[in-house]
Amino acid sequence: MTAILRVLLRRLVTSLIVLIGVSMLIFAIARIIPGNPARIALGPNATAEQIERLSAALHLDAPIWVQYGYFLRDLSRGDLGISLYTNRPVTADIAQFLPATLELVLVAGVMMVAIGLPLGVLSARYRGGAIDNAIRVFSLLTVSAPGFVWAVILMLVFAFFVPIFPIAGRISDSYSIPAVTGFLAIDTLLAGDLRAFGNAAWHIVLPALALALSGIGQAARLTRANMIETYDRPYIEMARSYGFPEGRIARRYALRPSLIPAMTIIGLDFASMLGNAFLVEAIFAWPGLSRYGVAVILRKDLNAIVGTVLIISAAFLIVNVIVDLLVAVINPRIRYSQRSA
Amino acid sequence: MTDTLNIRDLTLDFKGHSGTARVLHGISLRIGRGERVALVGESGSGKSVTARIVLGLLQELRGVRVGGTVEFDGRDLASLTRRQRAALRGTAMSMIFQDPTSSLNPVYPIGTQFTEVLRRGEPGISERDAALRAATLLNDVSIRDSGRVLGSYPFQLSGGMNQRVMIAMALANEPALLIADEPGTALDVTVQAQTLGLMRDMVAAHQTSVLFISHNLGVVREFADRIYVIYKGRIVESGTTRAVFDAPGHAYTRALMAAVPRLTGGGIPEIDDASADFLAPAVLHAEAAP
Repeated sequence: MTAILRVLLRRLVTSLIVLIGVSMLIFAIARIIPGNPARIALGPNATAEQIERLSAALHLDAPIWVQYGYFLRDLSRGDLGISLYTNRPVTADIAQFLPATLELVLVAGVMMVAIGLPLGVLSARYRGGAIDNAIRVFSLLTVSAPGFVWAVILMLVFAFFVPIFPIAGRISDSYSIPAVTGFLAIDTLLAGDLRAFGNAAWHIVLPALALALSGIGQAARLTRANMIETYDRPYIEMARSYGFPEGRIARRYALRPSLIPAMTIIGLDFASMLGNAFLVEAIFAWPGLSRYGVAVILRKDLNAIVGTVLIISAAFLIVNVIVDLLVAVINPRIRYSQRSA
Repeated sequence: MTDTLNIRDLTLDFKGHSGTARVLHGISLRIGRGERVALVGESGSGKSVTARIVLGLLQELRGVRVGGTVEFDGRDLASLTRRQRAALRGTAMSMIFQDPTSSLNPVYPIGTQFTEVLRRGEPGISERDAALRAATLLNDVSIRDSGRVLGSYPFQLSGGMNQRVMIAMALANEPALLIADEPGTALDVTVQAQTLGLMRDMVAAHQTSVLFISHNLGVVREFADRIYVIYKGRIVESGTTRAVFDAPGHAYTRALMAAVPRLTGGGIPEIDDASADFLAPAVLHAEAAP
């Protein structure tokens, strides 16, 4: 497994470089947008003197590279500054809102893989048949509409017309779960409250599904296309010549080679859910990072914007590293080529 | 004794959008026990589809119509269910493919693939016993460092090595019939000759019947007891290897033989793509007494 460690190390280093690049970019962009953050924060009745004082405290009067220097110094101490919107440390805000988003995205990601891959496998195995056609129509449909459209449709159908699922929120108000990790799935279990766990699980179904649907379609289409290509390979004919059952050939002999190209794109889709979650969270009143992100952008809350973007980028990169590791695990060629490289 | 394989008047049609295309026009072919029989012809003549019908693979596809009878060990394949046909594959009959490296699954080590093949013959065999069996079988095909080979992925081994692995796998469950479809054509000539010699020794030792499919007459001459020459879905000549090579009776067979390059030079003669002579009735040499 040392080959895997090498892949990991290499990807972590490149991720760090990307992250530094992102921080510079977002730092600059946030400051180029017109409007004085100090003025917005202090409101219309602030005096010029007050604004000047706050600007100086925020180092807004210094050149941008000096500001970036301050930012890096604070960052190295784990300090992302104070949010002008909540008047709390940005790190505290992120710690509060991020778990809800991560929980949503993780559940959506699991749905994407757990539903999308099997659909793609079925589609390829029964290519040209009724199952294949049904799955292809479904995939095309889900891919062609963005998550927030599905959010509205799912909410209307399954929470309003046929009220099976709750219409909004993370958990019913009647439960009060002490926040330990911020992940309700974990906190409810820590509190030993299975009913609360069930309630939270019930709440996450619709938003997660809305977020996942396009990904499910995308994963199904990709898996199908790659499987069909794999089916033409000599090793599949060889497996058939040995009389292995078709189901086993699909799951064992065809799926794994097909996943190698599919995995990278499915991983990117998964990571991009972090961004897509913004609108889905807004529709389902999900108390996540996205709602916070929108609020701070509108108020030009510089520290909070930079902090939020950095965290989302970091999450994106982490997902990418994980995907690369998974690809290395299923593709022996990558594992062994890294050794000589 | 019943023949291992007895094909009579086999026809094959592919149904497409523009009607039906006949690919095999009633071919007959038999392979006795322990006999090595070659089916020789150019690309598209129907060699490979014949092999796939025997394996029962082609019958699974839509738009395929197979006529005539194929008897394996005295049993008519058409009378078997899909499941029964699948049960024969990998146990009573197995196949060796053209390109060994791309015929082995790229994402599993050789050992894993070998174990699964062995489980076709003996479902309950343990991981350890399978590894031991595999090592013995690899030893039979002159692979000494079987431990390394079993732990390797196909792309880490040479083509010749993979070919040996394929031969060992194909014979692992002691099949009655081995089908070799242009074996080793993707390998270079010396390696091909080596592995063919190996295959020859192996099937002789196990008394395995072989259907050897090739376009290469030189290889066929070395390997086969009897030869069938196939052209455009028809058998045009058949007989013992010696009889066919000594006195090729059919125009197509003569053309095929003339197409083999010779060290003495002279180049390859021009052969028409099609000739009325090639469609002449089949020449059937008397079969030598068994």
